[in-house]
Amino acid sequence: MPAMWNALLNQFGRTPLTRRKALWGMALVAPNVLGLMFFFGVPVLMAFATSLQQWNAVKPPVFVGLDNFSRLVGDAAFWQALGNTAKLLLLTVPAEIFLALNVAVMLNQRLRGRGFFRTVYFLPVVTSTVAAAIVWTWIFQPRYGLVGNLLAPVGLRDQPWLTRPDLVLFPIAAVTVWQRLGFDMVLFLAGLQAIPRVLYEAAIIDGAKGWQRFRFITLPLLSPTTFLVMVLSVINGFQIFDQVYIMTARTTRGGVGGSATTLSYFLYQSAFVQSEFGYASAVALVLFLITLGVTAVQLRMQRRWVYYEAGER
Amino acid sequence: MSDKRWLMLVVVLSLLVMSFAGVRAQDEAAIAAQPCDEPGALTMWVWDENWALVIGSAIEAWKADYCPGAEVDLQVQPWGQYWDLLKTNVAGGDLPDVFNMSQDRFFFYASNDALLDLQPYFDEAGVDTNLWGSGMIDPYRWGEDDDLYAGPVNWDTIAIFYNKDLFDAAGLDYPTTDWTWDDFADYAAKLTDAEADVYGAAVYSEYQAGYPNWIAATGTTPIVEAGRTQCTLTDAGSIEALTYLKDLYDQGYMPSVSIVGGASADDSFNFWLAGKVTMVAGGSWKLPTAIEQATFNWDVVKLPMNPETGRSRSIVHSVGYVASARTEAPELAANLILYLVSDEGQKFFADAGGVAPANPAMQERWVESFGEAGVNIQAFVDALQDSQGVTVFDEIWDKINTELVVNIFDLGMSVEEATQLACEFIDTQLPQ
Repeated sequence: MPAMWNALLNQFGRTPLTRRKALWGMALVAPNVLGLMFFFGVPVLMAFATSLQQWNAVKPPVFVGLDNFSRLVGDAAFWQALGNTAKLLLLTVPAEIFLALNVAVMLNQRLRGRGFFRTVYFLPVVTSTVAAAIVWTWIFQPRYGLVGNLLAPVGLRDQPWLTRPDLVLFPIAAVTVWQRLGFDMVLFLAGLQAIPRVLYEAAIIDGAKGWQRFRFITLPLLSPTTFLVMVLSVINGFQIFDQVYIMTARTTRGGVGGSATTLSYFLYQSAFVQSEFGYASAVALVLFLITLGVTAVQLRMQRRWVYYEAGER
Repeated sequence: MSDKRWLMLVVVLSLLVMSFAGVRAQDEAAIAAQPCDEPGALTMWVWDENWALVIGSAIEAWKADYCPGAEVDLQVQPWGQYWDLLKTNVAGGDLPDVFNMSQDRFFFYASNDALLDLQPYFDEAGVDTNLWGSGMIDPYRWGEDDDLYAGPVNWDTIAIFYNKDLFDAAGLDYPTTDWTWDDFADYAAKLTDAEADVYGAAVYSEYQAGYPNWIAATGTTPIVEAGRTQCTLTDAGSIEALTYLKDLYDQGYMPSVSIVGGASADDSFNFWLAGKVTMVAGGSWKLPTAIEQATFNWDVVKLPMNPETGRSRSIVHSVGYVASARTEAPELAANLILYLVSDEGQKFFADAGGVAPANPAMQERWVESFGEAGVNIQAFVDALQDSQGVTVFDEIWDKINTELVVNIFDLGMSVEEATQLACEFIDTQLPQ
């Protein structure tokens, strides 16, 4: 027993001092780790177990092996939800990165009221998605809403934005981008401020114009931030739920024929509308694996376009 | 004594007995509360804060008069989360002892053996459960013997709320109870003013206040047969009703779902409150809102009659009190429910003047509770006569309440195609 204890202690360092330091560190992170394990790890493990069961939350669960997963593969509604999620990712991630970068570059300049504008752009992040989505529902109201009236001159008044299957993803994407913009902007601002000023000064002396400085200094040196923003946006995109829930709550609940149903919304419906908690857990697990897979691919791809300063890789 | 005199004696005696019975009915309560056997502690959930106040006072009276020493922890779980919470608590084996139940959700809890059979307790207390109208309690019956699993709290029916000012402006007489669908269409046309952005009617909305009333008037059971045997949306009666409503929509007499802002009856009603529509189908639960908030003169009238069947039918819905099958104090829970549905307990609801109490002895008192509102509240009580209970259920709710309505009254899909789509889905959800 003491031998084992010593072997364990040796993991933390060879000298008593380093060991003590390591133990202190462990002790300090312990509350957080324990909390995470208990409130996150345990439910995740339970979801894994539930995904192998048929369970309507009332009757005792029945073990069904991988049935839920094979059913998922053949479920058209699941593939549709996956497709909708992919469409939303395409609609939101590039727009988010493009807009957030522009806003950040603008607000990184010496500008009167800079702090005020930064706050304004950040406000949606701290606004509850539910409240925001309700307001946006009104903005997209076809007759009396803002969008309908702005688009009236081009004949787009009275468009049922939130019910037409081919339109409904646009309002949802708009809210998502609007709400994520501030967060991405802050990340970009931090990235921008980390770029050494001397590089720009040198470039100016060499005669580089504004666009060239942006293209050849800012963009490459900002690429780690861009990468981070992209990864976070994609993960966020896989979790789009509140917007769909609120913006279709009063009309189609997930879109006509499931046209606004995202993976997260599909999960919710399986669990709380259809009372199939086993199936819903399987969806959750698959959603997790897809997100993990996509993130892994992004991590691999980053070597091609993300520049880190020497030694930091 | 001769045979004739025997007969006379029997007749006289039976008349006497009947008259005593009449006297009894006058004096005794329709449903009498009973003292509890043993006080204890109960938890109870309701979804409405106003109800919690009413039920709270009723519970205080129960504790004082029938069950001293009992404790009830009454909690409000708002409607938006009520059913999700209830479901997760069923999962955790942690249901409240007594809680509110809705007809359309009953099937799930009953079929999962989560609810206490109240029939033996009603029998023991001598309550004839048939005194409640069948539309009110049939959806709460379960099992081989059709036992009653809920004590009905209240009912609500549907009628047409109309804006009298807009009728006056158009120089039209107010509708009367003998009006038909043709009259309704006529009014809708005359009361639509496209220039002023005012519509004649909004009556197609989701389940209870919407299109199912019109289907019921044709004699067809709306959406699914009771017993969940088959989808009825493609039946002739459903097609007739929906086509009639779609005509009104196509002519521009009814606004689209998107313009109203939602498919729910609340959305249509708010549109009416805003003066944007003249006639709206609304539930009796909307009376306090209308009295408080309408800025124009208004009244209510019975739904119009289908010209062929001559019937005007309202969907009736009754909220019930149920007890958990796993409660530790079934006797006490049943005793509390008995009190809440008794004449004494129902007085609190009758006087509160919101939803109407289920107890038939309390109807008049409920109508009177509105005082001098100057509104034909009796229309809702009359609507009980030829009413239709709720047959739909949770799993098909979104499809028939939102998708069907949006497809027809927003995206302009044909009635045939929309009902076909809805039935295809409903068939997958019916018990095999």
